[in-house]
Amino acid sequence: MILKTFKKELKEITRDGRARIAFSIVLVLLGSSVWISAKRYQDTNKEYQQALSSERAMWDNQGEKNPHSAAHFGTYAFKPKYPLSLIDQGVDKYAGTSIFLEAHNRNEAQFSAAADQTGLARFGELTPDFVLLFMVPLLIILLAYNVFTKEREMGTLTLLKSQGLSRVKWFTGKWLALMVPILSLTLVVFILAGLVLSNLKGFGEFQWSALGVLFLVYAAYYVVFTNVVMFISSRARKSGTALVMSLSVWILACLAAPKAASNFAENEHPYPSRQEFLAMVAEDKKQGLDGHNPWSKEAKLLEQEVLKEYGVDSLHQLPFNFDAYRMQKGEEHEAEVYFKHYNYLKEQYKNQSKTYRSLAVISPFLPTRFMSMAIAHTDYNTHWDFADAAEEYRILTQKFLNDNFAENSKLGEWGYQADASLWQELPAFEYDPPELQQIVSDNRGNTAVLSFWLVGSFVLSLLSIKRI
Amino acid sequence: MITTTNLTKKYADHLALNNLNLTVKPGEIYCLLGANGAGKTTTINLLLGFISASSGTASIGGIDVSKNALASKKLLAYIPENLMLYPSLTAVENLDYFSGIAGKKFSKLALEEFLENAGLQADAFHKRVEAFSKGMRQKVGIAIALAKDASALLLDEPTSGLDPKASNEFGLLLQKLKAKGIATLMATHDLFRAKEVATHIGIMKNGELIHQFVSDEISLADLEKVYLEAMTY
Repeated sequence: MILKTFKKELKEITRDGRARIAFSIVLVLLGSSVWISAKRYQDTNKEYQQALSSERAMWDNQGEKNPHSAAHFGTYAFKPKYPLSLIDQGVDKYAGTSIFLEAHNRNEAQFSAAADQTGLARFGELTPDFVLLFMVPLLIILLAYNVFTKEREMGTLTLLKSQGLSRVKWFTGKWLALMVPILSLTLVVFILAGLVLSNLKGFGEFQWSALGVLFLVYAAYYVVFTNVVMFISSRARKSGTALVMSLSVWILACLAAPKAASNFAENEHPYPSRQEFLAMVAEDKKQGLDGHNPWSKEAKLLEQEVLKEYGVDSLHQLPFNFDAYRMQKGEEHEAEVYFKHYNYLKEQYKNQSKTYRSLAVISPFLPTRFMSMAIAHTDYNTHWDFADAAEEYRILTQKFLNDNFAENSKLGEWGYQADASLWQELPAFEYDPPELQQIVSDNRGNTAVLSFWLVGSFVLSLLSIKRI
Repeated sequence: MITTTNLTKKYADHLALNNLNLTVKPGEIYCLLGANGAGKTTTINLLLGFISASSGTASIGGIDVSKNALASKKLLAYIPENLMLYPSLTAVENLDYFSGIAGKKFSKLALEEFLENAGLQADAFHKRVEAFSKGMRQKVGIAIALAKDASALLLDEPTSGLDPKASNEFGLLLQKLKAKGIATLMATHDLFRAKEVATHIGIMKNGELIHQFVSDEISLADLEKVYLEAMTY
């Protein structure tokens, strides 16, 4: 009976002009969005590779120069575009792609794609994640809203019941007839994306396993939607009512809930304004050593400590250039200040995420979105991770340059110029995003919420079966 | 084969069926006559197990419907007043699906044979039923009953809305089923058709079976007279 119902439902779907048109539209949208994303992905990575090599070339070819001048000359940490961003662009567009690394300051990521676009970008873009998260559930609604109501309205249910209908098998057949086309459509797009990505050489490491996990996340999301819409159809008396109710669920789950959750989370754990943040950083910086100011109280204190430590009377007797040493100590103080304040921001972000996640019980969209972005390496966690790695590299760079300055010059020798080959000795910035295993482990909460939705939706299915 | 014993159905303070006792043996066609609300459809719904009885029993082939609904449904076929099929499927596909629901599996040839036996024209076998007339849909319904090899047939106003030719064809089909030994219970308003096809006739009023006749023992004129009297008083 399951197979018979499955085949019969598929026949009805394929013969229904509306379903054919809707399927074609979603397929075309998905295909186009993958193509557009693949193109953008290639272009962005080409730019990334070019920027990376030209920036490094500029750094390497500075010539003879004072190391502290080189520190102010600075360099960039570029965030690569990861393969699965082709499926989910997440916050990449807004988070910025490169961080300028210089002495004394920790800078924010800049050159976001959103900043490069015109006002028309406010209308949104056609991306695979948009189609997968918003359009496919709509397709599910279109296919499933009348899955039971039509049987009642047409009168076929009476005849079916008189034939000795097994409700569980009948439900299963109908469920499979909805899930198989939806999951096949998604699978085709994922395989297509996988083939595109695996054939792009030199553009990051693509993992089929990550794509597989991403597919499972979306599959769970669609199962939840299908079960909910089938439940509505089993309870509603008329198809029109079922359609309106299903669309209301979609509006609440996909449009209203994420925005409401985001507002609530921001309200509960607000970020300081940029001005406040900079003022706090500046204030804390003032409380410590300024590497450029040898006359400050902190500088004099450091001087005494170092003289005492080395058992000498004068800074000239030190085996290194104290000016550079002080510069490094100043850097360390500034790094600590940045560490403290960025940690506060990170803490606020974590609290916001926690609040947001706890609100995920109101919509399966939220855990799906979080997990999708995390697996695609386009979430804020990855961005924070990248920004932290860039800051670590900036601190190392400053130490590398100050050490050279301190070890190869004398006190007051501001005219010291390091050898032109020094810059090449600085290792290039490398960033590895969290591994899939790590991401899965970090997203245990989201997995639990999505699983809760999955189990809950199957409970609704049982109620649907009873209701038939 | 079809038996009801003191079958009663109450809805709050409304008595829809009161102590109905009837038996339809194999090869018999029992027509239940009565006005709307007389209790004909309630009787059929109770026999189908769609609603539960307040008291009494309904059984098909000796199986109590309320105790073993699935087993009793295996023995019966049902054709409602307005038999609805899946419009985007063909007659053969509809027959195949409804037979499948009953746990039967047939070759395409066998399915076509059932439709042919039910009187459907061959050129309609593979046409979508969306354009079928009511008579054609009823024939597919008969084919579903034939394919199910049911020993009991429940018909709820099956000729209502059929043109005279289609109604006559339907009557002939019932005779064929009778010859096969199927016990048929048919609810109808159609006195003429009832007299023509039934072996037994019952008249219902306000949930009670007030008259029962052997069809051959009463003339159409007398039946009409009794019926009208029953409906008037």
